[in-house]
Amino acid sequence: MAKDLDVNESGPPAARDYKDPPPAPFFDMEELRKWPLYRAVIAEFVATLLFLYVSILTVIGYKAQTDATAGGVDCGGVGILGIAWAFGGMIFVLVYCTAGISGGHINPAVTVGLFLARKVSLVRTVLYIVAQCLGAICGCGFVKAFQSSYYTRYGGGANELADGYNKGTGLGAEIIGTFVLVYTVFSATDPKRNARDSHVPVLAPLPIGFAVFMVHLATIPITGTGINPARSFGAAVIYNNEKAWDDQWIFWVGPMIGAAAAAFYHQFILRAAAIKALGSFGSFGSFRSFA
Amino acid sequence: MAKDVEAVPGEGFQTRDYQDPPPAPFIDGAELKKWSFYRAVIAEFVATLLFLYITVLTVIGYKIQSDTDAGGVDCGGVGILGIAWAFGGMIFILVYCTAGISGGHINPAVTFGLFLARKVSLPRALLYIIAQCLGAICGVGFVKAFQSSYYTRYGGGANSLADGYSTGTGLAAEIIGTFVLVYTVFSATDPKRSARDSHVPVLAPLPIGFAVFMVHLATIPITGTGINPARSFGAAVIYNKSKPWDDHWIFWVGPFIGAAIAAFYHQFVLRASGSKSLGSFRSAANV
Repeated sequence: MAKDLDVNESGPPAARDYKDPPPAPFFDMEELRKWPLYRAVIAEFVATLLFLYVSILTVIGYKAQTDATAGGVDCGGVGILGIAWAFGGMIFVLVYCTAGISGGHINPAVTVGLFLARKVSLVRTVLYIVAQCLGAICGCGFVKAFQSSYYTRYGGGANELADGYNKGTGLGAEIIGTFVLVYTVFSATDPKRNARDSHVPVLAPLPIGFAVFMVHLATIPITGTGINPARSFGAAVIYNNEKAWDDQWIFWVGPMIGAAAAAFYHQFILRAAAIKALGSFGSFGSFRSFA
Repeated sequence: MAKDVEAVPGEGFQTRDYQDPPPAPFIDGAELKKWSFYRAVIAEFVATLLFLYITVLTVIGYKIQSDTDAGGVDCGGVGILGIAWAFGGMIFILVYCTAGISGGHINPAVTFGLFLARKVSLPRALLYIIAQCLGAICGVGFVKAFQSSYYTRYGGGANSLADGYSTGTGLAAEIIGTFVLVYTVFSATDPKRSARDSHVPVLAPLPIGFAVFMVHLATIPITGTGINPARSFGAAVIYNKSKPWDDHWIFWVGPFIGAAIAAFYHQFVLRASGSKSLGSFRSAANV
Protein backbone atom coordinates (compact mmCIF):
# COMPACT_ATOMS: atom_id res chain seq x y z
CA MET A 1 0.00 0.00 0.00
CA ALA A 2 1.26 3.41 -0.91
CA LYS A 3 1.64 5.55 2.18
CA ASP A 4 -0.83 8.39 2.40
CA LEU A 5 1.47 11.37 1.99
CA ASP A 6 -0.66 14.40 2.66
CA VAL A 7 1.58 16.97 1.01
CA ASN A 8 0.76 20.48 2.12
CA GLU A 9 0.28 21.89 -1.31
CA SER A 10 -0.29 25.58 -1.80
CA GLY A 11 -1.66 24.93 -5.24
CA PRO A 12 -5.28 24.42 -6.14
CA PRO A 13 -6.97 21.19 -5.02
CA ALA A 14 -7.38 20.18 -8.67
CA ALA A 15 -4.07 18.34 -8.38
CA ARG A 16 -5.70 15.80 -6.09
CA ASP A 17 -5.85 12.38 -7.67
CA TYR A 18 -9.26 11.41 -6.35
CA LYS A 19 -12.66 13.00 -6.26
CA ASP A 20 -15.13 12.76 -3.41
CA PRO A 21 -18.72 12.50 -4.62
CA PRO A 22 -20.97 15.31 -3.37
CA PRO A 23 -23.08 14.56 -0.30
CA ALA A 24 -26.36 12.85 -1.15
CA PRO A 25 -29.36 15.15 -0.66
CA PHE A 26 -31.66 14.27 2.21
CA PHE A 27 -34.70 14.33 -0.02
CA ASP A 28 -34.12 13.50 -3.63
CA MET A 29 -37.52 13.57 -5.28
CA GLU A 30 -35.94 13.11 -8.67
CA GLU A 31 -34.75 9.59 -7.88
CA LEU A 32 -38.24 8.60 -6.75
CA ARG A 33 -39.39 8.86 -10.34
CA LYS A 34 -36.74 6.59 -11.77
CA TRP A 35 -36.68 2.85 -12.15
CA PRO A 36 -33.13 2.34 -10.75
CA LEU A 37 -34.35 3.22 -7.25
CA TYR A 38 -37.08 0.61 -7.28
CA ARG A 39 -34.81 -1.93 -8.90
CA ALA A 40 -32.33 -1.30 -6.09
CA VAL A 41 -35.05 -1.81 -3.49
CA ILE A 42 -36.13 -5.06 -5.15
CA ALA A 43 -32.50 -6.18 -5.24
CA GLU A 44 -32.09 -5.46 -1.53
CA PHE A 45 -35.25 -7.42 -0.78
CA VAL A 46 -34.20 -10.47 -2.79
CA ALA A 47 -30.64 -10.37 -1.47
CA THR A 48 -31.76 -10.23 2.15
CA LEU A 49 -34.27 -13.00 1.51
CA LEU A 50 -31.58 -15.28 0.12
CA PHE A 51 -29.17 -14.30 2.88
CA LEU A 52 -31.61 -15.29 5.62
CA TYR A 53 -32.81 -18.41 3.82
CA VAL A 54 -29.34 -19.91 3.32
CA SER A 55 -27.91 -18.89 6.68
CA ILE A 56 -30.91 -19.87 8.82
CA LEU A 57 -31.24 -23.12 6.89
CA THR A 58 -27.60 -23.81 7.71
CA VAL A 59 -28.22 -23.14 11.41
CA ILE A 60 -31.28 -25.41 11.55
CA GLY A 61 -29.57 -28.11 9.50
CA TYR A 62 -26.58 -28.09 11.80
CA LYS A 63 -28.74 -28.42 14.90
CA ALA A 64 -30.79 -31.21 13.34
CA GLN A 65 -27.71 -33.18 12.38
CA THR A 66 -26.09 -32.90 15.81
CA ASP A 67 -29.21 -33.67 17.84
CA ALA A 68 -28.34 -36.99 19.45
CA THR A 69 -31.94 -37.59 20.52
CA ALA A 70 -33.11 -37.47 16.91
CA GLY A 71 -30.60 -39.65 15.12
CA GLY A 72 -27.89 -37.03 14.86
CA VAL A 73 -24.26 -37.58 15.79
CA ASP A 74 -21.53 -35.54 17.38
CA CYS A 75 -19.75 -33.51 14.73
CA GLY A 76 -22.57 -34.44 12.40
CA GLY A 77 -23.21 -31.08 10.79
CA VAL A 78 -21.10 -28.34 9.29
CA GLY A 79 -20.19 -27.07 12.76
CA ILE A 80 -20.28 -23.58 14.19
CA LEU A 81 -17.46 -22.77 11.79
CA GLY A 82 -19.71 -23.73 8.91
CA ILE A 83 -22.45 -21.46 10.23
CA ALA A 84 -20.00 -18.56 10.36
CA TRP A 85 -18.96 -19.36 6.80
CA ALA A 86 -22.60 -19.42 5.72
CA PHE A 87 -23.16 -15.90 7.01
CA GLY A 88 -19.89 -14.44 5.78
CA GLY A 89 -19.90 -16.26 2.47
CA MET A 90 -23.46 -15.30 1.64
CA ILE A 91 -22.69 -11.64 2.33
CA PHE A 92 -19.71 -11.90 -0.04
CA VAL A 93 -21.78 -13.49 -2.81
CA LEU A 94 -24.77 -11.17 -2.41
CA VAL A 95 -22.75 -7.96 -2.07
CA TYR A 96 -20.93 -9.04 -5.20
CA CYS A 97 -24.21 -9.59 -7.07
CA THR A 98 -25.99 -6.42 -5.96
CA ALA A 99 -23.10 -3.97 -5.64
CA GLY A 100 -23.75 -2.39 -9.02
CA ILE A 101 -27.50 -2.30 -8.51
CA SER A 102 -28.15 -1.09 -4.98
CA GLY A 103 -24.73 -0.78 -3.42
CA GLY A 104 -25.13 -4.18 -1.80
CA HIS A 105 -26.06 -3.18 1.74
CA ILE A 106 -28.22 -6.16 2.82
CA ASN A 107 -28.05 -4.74 6.33
CA PRO A 108 -29.92 -1.80 7.90
CA ALA A 109 -26.82 -0.95 9.95
CA VAL A 110 -24.76 -0.54 6.79
CA THR A 111 -27.51 1.58 5.25
CA VAL A 112 -27.65 3.82 8.33
CA GLY A 113 -23.88 4.15 8.40
CA LEU A 114 -23.81 5.22 4.77
CA PHE A 115 -26.71 7.58 5.38
CA LEU A 116 -24.84 9.25 8.24
CA ALA A 117 -21.89 9.65 5.89
CA ARG A 118 -24.23 11.32 3.37
CA LYS A 119 -23.78 8.62 0.76
CA VAL A 120 -27.45 7.71 0.44
CA SER A 121 -30.55 9.88 0.70
CA LEU A 122 -33.08 9.61 3.49
CA VAL A 123 -35.76 8.27 1.16
CA ARG A 124 -33.46 5.58 -0.13
CA THR A 125 -32.39 4.73 3.41
CA VAL A 126 -35.94 4.21 4.59
CA LEU A 127 -36.93 2.17 1.55
CA TYR A 128 -33.83 -0.01 1.82
CA ILE A 129 -34.44 -0.76 5.50
CA VAL A 130 -38.07 -1.66 4.88
CA ALA A 131 -37.08 -3.91 1.97
CA GLN A 132 -34.35 -5.56 4.03
CA CYS A 133 -36.70 -6.30 6.93
CA LEU A 134 -39.38 -7.67 4.63
CA GLY A 135 -36.81 -9.79 2.81
CA ALA A 136 -35.56 -11.15 6.12
CA ILE A 137 -39.07 -12.09 7.20
CA CYS A 138 -39.69 -13.85 3.88
CA GLY A 139 -36.35 -15.67 4.03
CA CYS A 140 -37.04 -17.06 7.49
CA GLY A 141 -40.62 -17.74 6.44
CA PHE A 142 -39.33 -19.96 3.65
CA VAL A 143 -37.24 -21.97 6.09
CA LYS A 144 -40.18 -22.43 8.42
CA ALA A 145 -42.54 -23.28 5.56
CA PHE A 146 -40.25 -26.00 4.27
CA GLN A 147 -39.38 -27.66 7.57
CA SER A 148 -41.75 -26.39 10.20
CA SER A 149 -41.12 -28.94 12.94
CA TYR A 150 -37.34 -28.71 12.73
CA TYR A 151 -37.53 -24.93 12.61
CA THR A 152 -39.55 -24.66 15.80
CA ARG A 153 -37.68 -27.40 17.64
CA TYR A 154 -34.23 -25.96 16.99
CA GLY A 155 -34.76 -22.35 17.95
CA GLY A 156 -35.65 -20.83 14.61
CA GLY A 157 -32.19 -19.36 14.15
CA ALA A 158 -33.28 -16.45 16.33
CA ASN A 159 -30.77 -14.17 18.01
CA GLU A 160 -30.91 -14.30 21.79
CA LEU A 161 -28.52 -13.48 24.57
CA ALA A 162 -26.91 -16.76 25.64
CA ASP A 163 -27.08 -17.90 29.26
CA GLY A 164 -24.26 -16.55 31.36
CA TYR A 165 -23.92 -13.25 29.50
CA ASN A 166 -25.45 -10.01 30.67
CA LYS A 167 -27.14 -7.45 28.46
CA GLY A 168 -24.16 -5.12 28.58
CA THR A 169 -21.91 -7.82 27.20
CA GLY A 170 -24.36 -8.58 24.40
CA LEU A 171 -24.76 -4.93 23.56
CA GLY A 172 -21.01 -4.41 23.55
CA ALA A 173 -20.51 -7.40 21.27
CA GLU A 174 -23.08 -6.07 18.81
CA ILE A 175 -21.63 -2.55 18.86
CA ILE A 176 -18.06 -3.61 18.21
CA GLY A 177 -19.05 -6.33 15.75
CA THR A 178 -21.05 -3.89 13.66
CA PHE A 179 -18.24 -1.35 13.88
CA VAL A 180 -15.90 -3.90 12.30
CA LEU A 181 -18.36 -4.58 9.49
CA VAL A 182 -19.35 -1.00 8.67
CA TYR A 183 -15.77 0.22 8.97
CA THR A 184 -14.79 -2.45 6.42
CA VAL A 185 -17.61 -1.29 4.15
CA PHE A 186 -16.37 2.30 4.33
CA SER A 187 -12.81 1.24 3.59
CA ALA A 188 -13.91 -0.92 0.68
CA THR A 189 -15.86 1.92 -0.91
CA ASP A 190 -13.49 4.80 -0.17
CA PRO A 191 -13.01 6.86 -3.36
CA LYS A 192 -9.56 7.97 -2.22
CA ARG A 193 -8.48 4.36 -2.00
CA ASN A 194 -10.11 3.55 -5.32
CA ALA A 195 -7.98 6.12 -7.07
CA ARG A 196 -4.68 5.29 -5.41
CA ASP A 197 -4.60 1.52 -5.03
CA SER A 198 -5.68 0.70 -8.56
CA HIS A 199 -8.68 -0.56 -6.72
CA VAL A 200 -10.53 -3.45 -8.32
CA PRO A 201 -14.14 -2.99 -7.23
CA VAL A 202 -14.93 -6.65 -7.70
CA LEU A 203 -12.72 -7.41 -4.71
CA ALA A 204 -14.56 -5.09 -2.33
CA PRO A 205 -17.16 -7.72 -1.37
CA LEU A 206 -14.48 -10.15 -0.25
CA PRO A 207 -13.22 -8.24 2.84
CA ILE A 208 -16.81 -7.34 3.67
CA GLY A 209 -17.76 -11.01 3.64
CA PHE A 210 -14.69 -11.87 5.67
CA ALA A 211 -15.53 -9.16 8.21
CA VAL A 212 -18.93 -10.80 8.73
CA PHE A 213 -17.27 -14.20 8.98
CA MET A 214 -14.75 -12.96 11.57
CA VAL A 215 -17.36 -11.30 13.75
CA HIS A 216 -19.49 -14.45 13.68
CA LEU A 217 -16.53 -16.52 14.85
CA ALA A 218 -16.15 -14.17 17.80
CA THR A 219 -19.71 -13.49 18.91
CA ILE A 220 -21.77 -16.58 18.04
CA PRO A 221 -21.29 -17.80 21.64
CA ILE A 222 -22.65 -14.52 23.03
CA THR A 223 -25.68 -13.59 20.93
CA GLY A 224 -25.66 -15.92 17.98
CA THR A 225 -24.32 -12.78 16.26
CA GLY A 226 -26.79 -10.25 14.98
CA ILE A 227 -24.82 -7.25 13.62
CA ASN A 228 -27.68 -7.07 11.12
CA PRO A 229 -30.99 -5.78 12.51
CA ALA A 230 -32.93 -7.21 9.57
CA ARG A 231 -31.51 -10.65 10.23
CA SER A 232 -32.46 -10.50 13.91
CA PHE A 233 -35.86 -9.00 13.14
CA GLY A 234 -36.78 -11.56 10.49
CA ALA A 235 -35.90 -14.49 12.73
CA ALA A 236 -37.74 -12.96 15.70
CA VAL A 237 -40.90 -12.37 13.67
CA ILE A 238 -41.09 -15.90 12.30
CA TYR A 239 -39.95 -17.66 15.46
CA ASN A 240 -42.13 -15.38 17.58
CA ASN A 241 -40.71 -16.44 20.92
CA GLU A 242 -40.77 -14.31 24.04
CA LYS A 243 -37.06 -14.36 24.73
CA ALA A 244 -36.18 -13.43 21.17
CA TRP A 245 -38.43 -10.39 21.45
CA ASP A 246 -37.17 -9.48 24.92
CA ASP A 247 -33.63 -9.27 23.60
CA GLN A 248 -34.56 -7.74 20.25
CA TRP A 249 -33.64 -4.20 21.28
CA ILE A 250 -30.00 -5.24 21.64
CA PHE A 251 -29.93 -6.13 17.95
CA TRP A 252 -31.13 -2.71 16.83
CA VAL A 253 -29.46 -0.39 19.34
CA GLY A 254 -26.10 -2.14 19.19
CA PRO A 255 -25.71 -2.24 15.41
CA MET A 256 -26.93 1.34 14.98
CA ILE A 257 -24.44 2.62 17.55
CA GLY A 258 -21.68 0.59 15.94
CA ALA A 259 -22.56 1.92 12.49
CA ALA A 260 -22.62 5.50 13.75
CA ALA A 261 -19.25 5.04 15.44
CA ALA A 262 -17.79 3.60 12.24
CA ALA A 263 -19.20 6.45 10.17
CA PHE A 264 -17.74 9.01 12.56
CA TYR A 265 -14.37 7.27 12.72
CA HIS A 266 -14.03 7.00 8.96
CA GLN A 267 -15.37 10.40 8.00
CA PHE A 268 -13.88 12.57 10.71
CA ILE A 269 -10.69 10.82 11.73
CA LEU A 270 -9.45 8.81 8.79
CA ARG A 271 -10.67 11.21 6.13
CA ALA A 272 -10.35 14.20 8.47
CA ALA A 273 -13.24 15.98 6.80
CA ALA A 274 -13.95 18.17 9.81
CA ILE A 275 -10.36 19.29 10.28
CA LYS A 276 -10.09 20.24 6.65
CA ALA A 277 -13.37 22.08 6.83
CA LEU A 278 -12.14 24.05 9.84
CA GLY A 279 -8.86 24.70 8.09
CA SER A 280 -10.58 26.20 5.09
CA PHE A 281 -12.19 28.78 7.35
CA GLY A 282 -9.22 29.43 9.60
CA SER A 283 -6.65 30.02 6.90
CA PHE A 284 -6.67 30.60 3.17
CA GLY A 285 -10.26 31.64 3.56
CA SER A 286 -10.10 33.70 0.42
CA PHE A 287 -9.23 30.67 -1.68
CA ARG A 288 -12.34 28.82 -0.60
CA SER A 289 -10.79 25.42 -0.87
CA PHE A 290 -13.53 22.85 -0.89
CA ALA A 291 -11.78 20.04 0.94
CA MET B 1 -19.77 0.90 -4.64
CA ALA B 2 -20.64 3.43 -7.26
CA LYS B 3 -24.37 3.96 -7.35
CA ASP B 4 -25.96 2.88 -10.59
CA VAL B 5 -26.61 6.32 -12.06
CA GLU B 6 -28.38 5.61 -15.29
CA ALA B 7 -27.99 8.71 -17.42
CA VAL B 8 -30.65 8.73 -20.09
CA PRO B 9 -29.13 10.00 -23.32
CA GLY B 10 -31.17 12.35 -25.46
CA GLU B 11 -30.89 10.23 -28.54
CA GLY B 12 -29.71 6.76 -29.41
CA PHE B 13 -27.66 4.45 -27.24
CA GLN B 14 -24.24 5.57 -28.41
CA THR B 15 -23.32 7.13 -25.06
CA ARG B 16 -23.83 3.90 -23.18
CA ASP B 17 -20.57 2.65 -21.76
CA TYR B 18 -21.29 -1.04 -22.27
CA GLN B 19 -22.53 -3.16 -25.09
CA ASP B 20 -24.88 -6.09 -24.73
CA PRO B 21 -23.96 -8.93 -27.06
CA PRO B 22 -26.72 -9.80 -29.53
CA PRO B 23 -28.95 -12.73 -28.58
CA ALA B 24 -27.42 -16.06 -29.57
CA PRO B 25 -29.23 -17.65 -32.50
CA PHE B 26 -31.24 -20.74 -31.68
CA ILE B 27 -29.52 -22.76 -34.37
CA ASP B 28 -26.07 -21.62 -35.40
CA GLY B 29 -24.88 -23.82 -38.21
CA ALA B 30 -21.59 -21.96 -38.51
CA GLU B 31 -20.38 -22.78 -35.01
CA LEU B 32 -20.93 -26.47 -35.63
CA LYS B 33 -18.12 -26.34 -38.18
CA LYS B 34 -15.54 -24.82 -35.86
CA TRP B 35 -13.04 -26.59 -33.64
CA SER B 36 -13.60 -24.13 -30.79
CA PHE B 37 -17.12 -25.49 -30.42
CA TYR B 38 -15.97 -29.07 -29.94
CA ARG B 39 -13.09 -27.95 -27.76
CA ALA B 40 -15.65 -26.29 -25.50
CA VAL B 41 -17.69 -29.48 -25.30
CA ILE B 42 -14.58 -31.49 -24.44
CA ALA B 43 -13.67 -28.91 -21.79
CA GLU B 44 -17.11 -29.24 -20.19
CA PHE B 45 -16.75 -33.03 -20.18
CA VAL B 46 -13.34 -33.00 -18.53
CA ALA B 47 -14.31 -30.30 -16.03
CA THR B 48 -17.41 -32.17 -14.92
CA LEU B 49 -15.44 -35.41 -14.71
CA LEU B 50 -12.88 -33.82 -12.39
CA PHE B 51 -15.59 -32.10 -10.39
CA LEU B 52 -17.42 -35.35 -9.67
CA TYR B 53 -14.25 -37.33 -9.03
CA ILE B 54 -12.88 -34.95 -6.40
CA THR B 55 -16.19 -34.25 -4.71
CA VAL B 56 -17.57 -37.78 -4.54
CA LEU B 57 -14.17 -39.07 -3.44
CA THR B 58 -14.27 -36.50 -0.62
CA VAL B 59 -17.73 -37.69 0.41
CA ILE B 60 -16.73 -41.36 0.46
CA GLY B 61 -13.48 -40.61 2.26
CA TYR B 62 -15.28 -38.66 4.94
CA LYS B 63 -17.76 -41.46 5.54
CA ILE B 64 -14.98 -44.06 5.78
CA GLN B 65 -13.04 -42.05 8.32
CA SER B 66 -16.03 -41.33 10.52
CA ASP B 67 -17.44 -44.88 10.46
CA THR B 68 -16.80 -46.13 14.00
CA ASP B 69 -17.73 -49.71 12.99
CA ALA B 70 -14.81 -49.90 10.57
CA GLY B 71 -11.98 -48.36 12.53
CA GLY B 72 -13.04 -44.77 12.01
CA VAL B 73 -13.60 -42.26 14.79
CA ASP B 74 -16.28 -39.75 15.67
CA CYS B 75 -15.38 -36.41 14.17
CA GLY B 76 -12.95 -38.13 11.84
CA GLY B 77 -12.52 -37.00 8.27
CA VAL B 78 -12.91 -33.55 6.79
CA GLY B 79 -16.46 -33.14 8.06
CA ILE B 80 -19.56 -31.89 6.28
CA LEU B 81 -17.88 -28.49 6.10
CA GLY B 82 -15.00 -30.06 4.20
CA ILE B 83 -17.42 -31.67 1.77
CA ALA B 84 -19.05 -28.31 1.13
CA TRP B 85 -15.61 -26.81 0.53
CA ALA B 86 -14.81 -29.60 -1.92
CA PHE B 87 -17.86 -28.77 -4.03
CA GLY B 88 -17.47 -25.01 -3.88
CA GLY B 89 -13.71 -25.04 -4.23
CA MET B 90 -13.73 -27.35 -7.23
CA ILE B 91 -16.31 -25.20 -9.00
CA PHE B 92 -14.10 -22.17 -8.40
CA ILE B 93 -11.03 -23.91 -9.80
CA LEU B 94 -12.77 -25.47 -12.78
CA VAL B 95 -14.76 -22.37 -13.75
CA TYR B 96 -11.49 -20.46 -13.57
CA CYS B 97 -9.83 -22.99 -15.89
CA THR B 98 -12.61 -23.31 -18.45
CA ALA B 99 -14.20 -19.84 -18.44
CA GLY B 100 -12.35 -18.73 -21.54
CA ILE B 101 -12.90 -22.01 -23.37
CA SER B 102 -16.52 -22.95 -22.80
CA GLY B 103 -17.84 -20.34 -20.40
CA GLY B 104 -17.26 -22.69 -17.49
CA HIS B 105 -20.79 -23.98 -16.93
CA ILE B 106 -20.09 -27.47 -15.50
CA ASN B 107 -23.78 -27.61 -14.66
CA PRO B 108 -26.81 -28.27 -16.89
CA ALA B 109 -28.84 -25.79 -14.83
CA VAL B 110 -26.35 -23.02 -15.58
CA THR B 111 -26.38 -23.96 -19.26
CA PHE B 112 -30.17 -23.93 -19.24
CA GLY B 113 -30.31 -20.54 -17.54
CA LEU B 114 -27.88 -19.03 -20.02
CA PHE B 115 -29.83 -20.58 -22.88
CA LEU B 116 -33.04 -18.95 -21.64
CA ALA B 117 -31.19 -15.64 -21.52
CA ARG B 118 -30.14 -16.19 -25.14
CA LYS B 119 -26.46 -16.38 -24.34
CA VAL B 120 -25.86 -19.83 -25.81
CA SER B 121 -27.42 -21.51 -28.82
CA LEU B 122 -29.64 -24.57 -28.66
CA PRO B 123 -27.13 -27.06 -30.16
CA ARG B 124 -24.45 -25.76 -27.82
CA ALA B 125 -26.77 -26.05 -24.83
CA LEU B 126 -27.72 -29.61 -25.73
CA LEU B 127 -24.16 -30.75 -26.38
CA TYR B 128 -22.94 -29.11 -23.16
CA ILE B 129 -25.59 -30.91 -21.13
CA ILE B 130 -24.77 -34.25 -22.74
CA ALA B 131 -21.05 -33.70 -22.16
CA GLN B 132 -21.67 -32.72 -18.55
CA CYS B 133 -23.76 -35.81 -17.88
CA LEU B 134 -21.21 -38.10 -19.52
CA GLY B 135 -18.40 -36.41 -17.61
CA ALA B 136 -20.31 -36.89 -14.37
CA ILE B 137 -20.82 -40.60 -15.07
CA CYS B 138 -17.12 -41.04 -15.82
CA GLY B 139 -16.05 -39.06 -12.76
CA VAL B 140 -18.13 -41.15 -10.39
CA GLY B 141 -17.13 -44.25 -12.36
CA PHE B 142 -13.50 -43.51 -11.52
CA VAL B 143 -14.33 -43.34 -7.84
CA LYS B 144 -16.11 -46.67 -7.96
CA ALA B 145 -13.38 -48.27 -10.05
CA PHE B 146 -10.69 -47.27 -7.58
CA GLN B 147 -12.50 -48.24 -4.36
CA SER B 148 -15.48 -50.36 -5.25
CA SER B 149 -16.36 -51.80 -1.84
CA TYR B 150 -16.09 -48.51 0.02
CA TYR B 151 -18.06 -46.79 -2.71
CA THR B 152 -21.00 -49.16 -2.47
CA ARG B 153 -20.97 -49.38 1.32
CA TYR B 154 -21.05 -45.64 1.89
CA GLY B 155 -23.86 -44.59 -0.39
CA GLY B 156 -21.98 -43.76 -3.55
CA GLY B 157 -22.25 -40.02 -2.98
CA ALA B 158 -25.72 -40.18 -4.49
CA ASN B 159 -28.31 -37.48 -3.89
CA SER B 160 -31.51 -38.55 -2.23
CA LEU B 161 -34.01 -36.99 0.12
CA ALA B 162 -32.95 -37.38 3.75
CA ASP B 163 -35.29 -38.95 6.31
CA GLY B 164 -37.62 -36.46 7.91
CA TYR B 165 -37.95 -34.17 4.91
CA SER B 166 -40.86 -34.07 2.50
CA THR B 167 -40.59 -34.08 -1.26
CA GLY B 168 -41.77 -30.47 -1.38
CA THR B 169 -39.02 -29.42 1.00
CA GLY B 170 -36.39 -31.09 -1.15
CA LEU B 171 -37.76 -29.57 -4.33
CA ALA B 172 -37.86 -26.09 -2.78
CA ALA B 173 -34.32 -26.46 -1.50
CA GLU B 174 -33.12 -27.36 -4.99
CA ILE B 175 -35.05 -24.51 -6.61
CA ILE B 176 -33.78 -21.80 -4.28
CA GLY B 177 -30.27 -23.23 -4.16
CA THR B 178 -29.99 -23.24 -7.92
CA PHE B 179 -31.46 -19.73 -8.05
CA VAL B 180 -28.60 -18.51 -5.84
CA LEU B 181 -26.02 -20.19 -8.07
CA VAL B 182 -27.38 -19.13 -11.45
CA TYR B 183 -28.11 -15.61 -10.21
CA THR B 184 -24.47 -15.34 -9.15
CA VAL B 185 -23.38 -16.62 -12.56
CA PHE B 186 -25.48 -13.97 -14.28
CA SER B 187 -24.06 -11.24 -12.06
CA ALA B 188 -20.52 -12.42 -12.65
CA THR B 189 -20.92 -12.40 -16.42
CA ASP B 190 -23.01 -9.24 -16.79
CA PRO B 191 -21.51 -7.11 -19.60
CA LYS B 192 -22.81 -3.95 -17.96
CA ARG B 193 -20.82 -4.76 -14.86
CA SER B 194 -17.77 -5.68 -16.89
CA ALA B 195 -17.66 -2.24 -18.46
CA ARG B 196 -18.30 -0.20 -15.35
CA ASP B 197 -16.47 -1.92 -12.54
CA SER B 198 -13.16 -2.38 -14.30
CA HIS B 199 -14.23 -5.95 -13.98
CA VAL B 200 -11.45 -8.50 -13.91
CA PRO B 201 -13.05 -11.53 -15.53
CA VAL B 202 -10.57 -13.89 -13.93
CA LEU B 203 -12.13 -13.13 -10.55
CA ALA B 204 -15.69 -14.03 -11.55
CA PRO B 205 -15.24 -17.70 -10.58
CA LEU B 206 -14.67 -16.82 -6.91
CA PRO B 207 -18.23 -15.74 -6.04
CA ILE B 208 -19.58 -18.59 -8.16
CA GLY B 209 -17.54 -21.08 -6.14
CA PHE B 210 -18.64 -19.40 -2.94
CA ALA B 211 -22.28 -19.58 -4.00
CA VAL B 212 -21.94 -23.34 -4.48
CA PHE B 213 -20.18 -23.62 -1.11
CA MET B 214 -22.93 -21.64 0.64
CA VAL B 215 -25.77 -23.65 -0.84
CA HIS B 216 -24.06 -26.88 0.15
CA LEU B 217 -23.77 -25.70 3.75
CA ALA B 218 -27.49 -25.01 3.79
CA THR B 219 -28.94 -28.01 1.96
CA ILE B 220 -26.61 -30.95 2.58
CA PRO B 221 -28.86 -32.06 5.47
CA ILE B 222 -31.90 -32.08 3.17
CA THR B 223 -30.83 -33.61 -0.13
CA GLY B 224 -27.08 -33.90 0.02
CA THR B 225 -27.33 -30.86 -2.27
CA GLY B 226 -27.80 -31.41 -5.96
CA ILE B 227 -28.25 -27.99 -7.63
CA ASN B 228 -26.42 -29.66 -10.50
CA PRO B 229 -28.43 -32.25 -12.46
CA ALA B 230 -25.26 -33.76 -13.97
CA ARG B 231 -23.83 -34.32 -10.51
CA SER B 232 -26.99 -36.05 -9.33
CA PHE B 233 -27.32 -38.02 -12.56
CA GLY B 234 -23.75 -39.30 -12.57
CA ALA B 235 -23.97 -40.53 -9.00
CA ALA B 236 -27.37 -42.13 -9.57
CA VAL B 237 -26.17 -44.00 -12.65
CA ILE B 238 -23.09 -45.48 -11.01
CA TYR B 239 -24.66 -46.18 -7.63
CA ASN B 240 -27.82 -47.55 -9.27
CA LYS B 241 -30.10 -48.08 -6.27
CA SER B 242 -33.84 -47.54 -6.19
CA LYS B 243 -33.99 -44.67 -3.70
CA PRO B 244 -31.70 -42.30 -5.61
CA TRP B 245 -33.64 -43.05 -8.77
CA ASP B 246 -36.99 -42.56 -7.02
CA ASP B 247 -35.94 -39.09 -5.89
CA HIS B 248 -34.03 -38.28 -9.04
CA TRP B 249 -36.72 -36.12 -10.65
CA ILE B 250 -36.25 -33.58 -7.86
CA PHE B 251 -32.70 -32.97 -9.04
CA TRP B 252 -33.73 -32.06 -12.58
CA VAL B 253 -37.04 -30.27 -12.04
CA GLY B 254 -35.79 -28.20 -9.10
CA PRO B 255 -32.57 -26.91 -10.66
CA PHE B 256 -34.21 -26.12 -13.98
CA ILE B 257 -36.99 -24.16 -12.30
CA GLY B 258 -34.45 -22.30 -10.18
CA ALA B 259 -32.35 -21.48 -13.24
CA ALA B 260 -35.41 -20.19 -15.11
CA ILE B 261 -36.39 -17.94 -12.21
CA ALA B 262 -32.84 -16.59 -11.98
CA ALA B 263 -32.79 -15.90 -15.71
CA PHE B 264 -36.09 -14.07 -15.49
CA TYR B 265 -35.06 -12.06 -12.43
CA HIS B 266 -31.78 -10.96 -13.92
CA GLN B 267 -33.00 -10.21 -17.41
CA PHE B 268 -36.34 -8.58 -16.67
CA VAL B 269 -35.97 -7.06 -13.21
CA LEU B 270 -32.34 -6.15 -12.78
CA ARG B 271 -31.55 -5.42 -16.40
CA ALA B 272 -35.10 -4.24 -17.06
CA SER B 273 -35.16 -5.52 -20.62
CA GLY B 274 -38.94 -5.59 -20.56
CA SER B 275 -39.35 -2.01 -19.40
CA LYS B 276 -36.87 -0.69 -21.92
CA SER B 277 -38.52 -2.59 -24.74
CA LEU B 278 -41.89 -1.15 -23.80
CA GLY B 279 -40.40 2.30 -23.54
CA SER B 280 -38.94 2.08 -27.01
CA PHE B 281 -42.37 1.39 -28.42
CA ARG B 282 -44.25 3.91 -26.33
CA SER B 283 -42.15 6.93 -27.14
CA ALA B 284 -40.50 7.86 -30.40
CA ALA B 285 -37.50 9.16 -28.50
CA ASN B 286 -35.97 5.68 -28.26
CA VAL B 287 -34.97 6.09 -24.63
